[in-house]
Amino acid sequence: MLWLKTLGIVMVMTGFGSWGLNQARRIRQRVEQLKNLRLALNFLQKEITYIHTPLPQALKRTEQFSVYPVSVLFQEVACSLGERQGNTAREAWRKGMHKLSSHSELSRADLELLATLGYQIGMSDASEQERVLLMVQEELKILEEEALKACESGQKLWSYTGFVLGAVVVLLLI
Amino acid sequence: MYRVEGKIISEIASYFAPPIKQLLLGLDEHYFNRLEEIRLRCQQPLLLKSGDRDITITSSGRPAEDLNSGYVVTREDIQRSLASISDNSLYAFEEEIKRGFITIPGGHRVGLAGQAVINGGQIKTIKNFSSLCFRIARQVPDCALPLIPYIAPRGVPVSSLLISPPRCGKTTLLRDLARILSTGRPNLPARNVAVIDERSELAGCYLGIPQLDVGTRTDVLDACPKAEGMMMAIRSLSPQVVITDEIGRAEDVTAIRECLNAGVAVIASVHARNVKELENRPLMQDLMKLKAFQSGITLSRRIHPGNIEEIVRWQA
Repeated sequence: MLWLKTLGIVMVMTGFGSWGLNQARRIRQRVEQLKNLRLALNFLQKEITYIHTPLPQALKRTEQFSVYPVSVLFQEVACSLGERQGNTAREAWRKGMHKLSSHSELSRADLELLATLGYQIGMSDASEQERVLLMVQEELKILEEEALKACESGQKLWSYTGFVLGAVVVLLLI
Repeated sequence: MYRVEGKIISEIASYFAPPIKQLLLGLDEHYFNRLEEIRLRCQQPLLLKSGDRDITITSSGRPAEDLNSGYVVTREDIQRSLASISDNSLYAFEEEIKRGFITIPGGHRVGLAGQAVINGGQIKTIKNFSSLCFRIARQVPDCALPLIPYIAPRGVPVSSLLISPPRCGKTTLLRDLARILSTGRPNLPARNVAVIDERSELAGCYLGIPQLDVGTRTDVLDACPKAEGMMMAIRSLSPQVVITDEIGRAEDVTAIRECLNAGVAVIASVHARNVKELENRPLMQDLMKLKAFQSGITLSRRIHPGNIEEIVRWQA
């Protein structure tokens, strides 16, 4: 019976520990994704305001510039606009956001901020596009800094919490 | 005079909002044979202008002459159509929006109306778009052949004016003249032709490439102001004929004089009902003093667009 108990303890500890480590990884990844998103929007802004690249091509180039999972957003929006089925940029952006939310660790607040871009993207002059894209990038920078602070304290907390919880459960079961 | 061009509707249908696209594609092809304009006005019936006849399409897809029974265009239809026309990239069409139209592949022009945004006394852009006017660009090959004996007597082009009110086929004739003069015909040697296309109507350029046939030896200065374009052309393109649409400003007179001094024939159009009305204008009096044009051809749409009403020879 001892081997069964030992196996149980190992499984509980591993399960809770992995859960804690996974939570810590998600916090760390959110910071990284916010940064990548900001850089991608900066690239898109230059494509729009300096080169005046049409939106589907600008999004395709931003997709190539950006890294996963941020690239998923631009890929989906570019693909949706490329279908030429009468989709507006707002609808395509909404589709892309939906896909991004299932692939990324971005929070609800991050996604809500990003959603505001859908109302404006493509459908105004270059100076207005620049203004909107800069504003979203600034807001993303703030979210990124907050996420970084949360990561510094939260990462260790979640890493330990998993194992501590596992130990508590083991003690209770014994 | 017009050819049946069924492909026109398939060319432009994708630029309309889905409900309007469905209605247009469901319509019998013969309705498009003489189609000149499709108009989308917010909260007004969809309107197709075919010759002097206006028709609409009901929500069930039937063509109707009673405009009140037509499909009513919504603001969303306008926004979706505009998104398709601009590829969801209005910022890439700033200059075109300032000029009030966007040219789409095929050379068709979409006129825009809405709320103008003014900055420093100049139109910065248009917002809150309220109507779109799709003007169908048509080529009518050889429609200008009846004009050739007057414009190129003995095979040599002379400076000529096409005179008519709007919608009488001036632009279509000028386009065909460019094609004929630059391609050549028996007893009409081919010439270098420069088309100064300020409103992108003559060659229907999309991304700088003519979408309509303007001939093999034709250079097109697209979206270029007429006077500057004429000067640029004689400086760098060595044209034998310059073709431009709707002259009417003082600087055009100076540029035409430069062309004549350089031995270049100018073929232009001008808005007027007849020669008498034209000759009373100060601009025309200046051109008469210069003896700039040798022939004037008055057009109407009495029998068909491009109908020749009167031919005047001015002394060189």
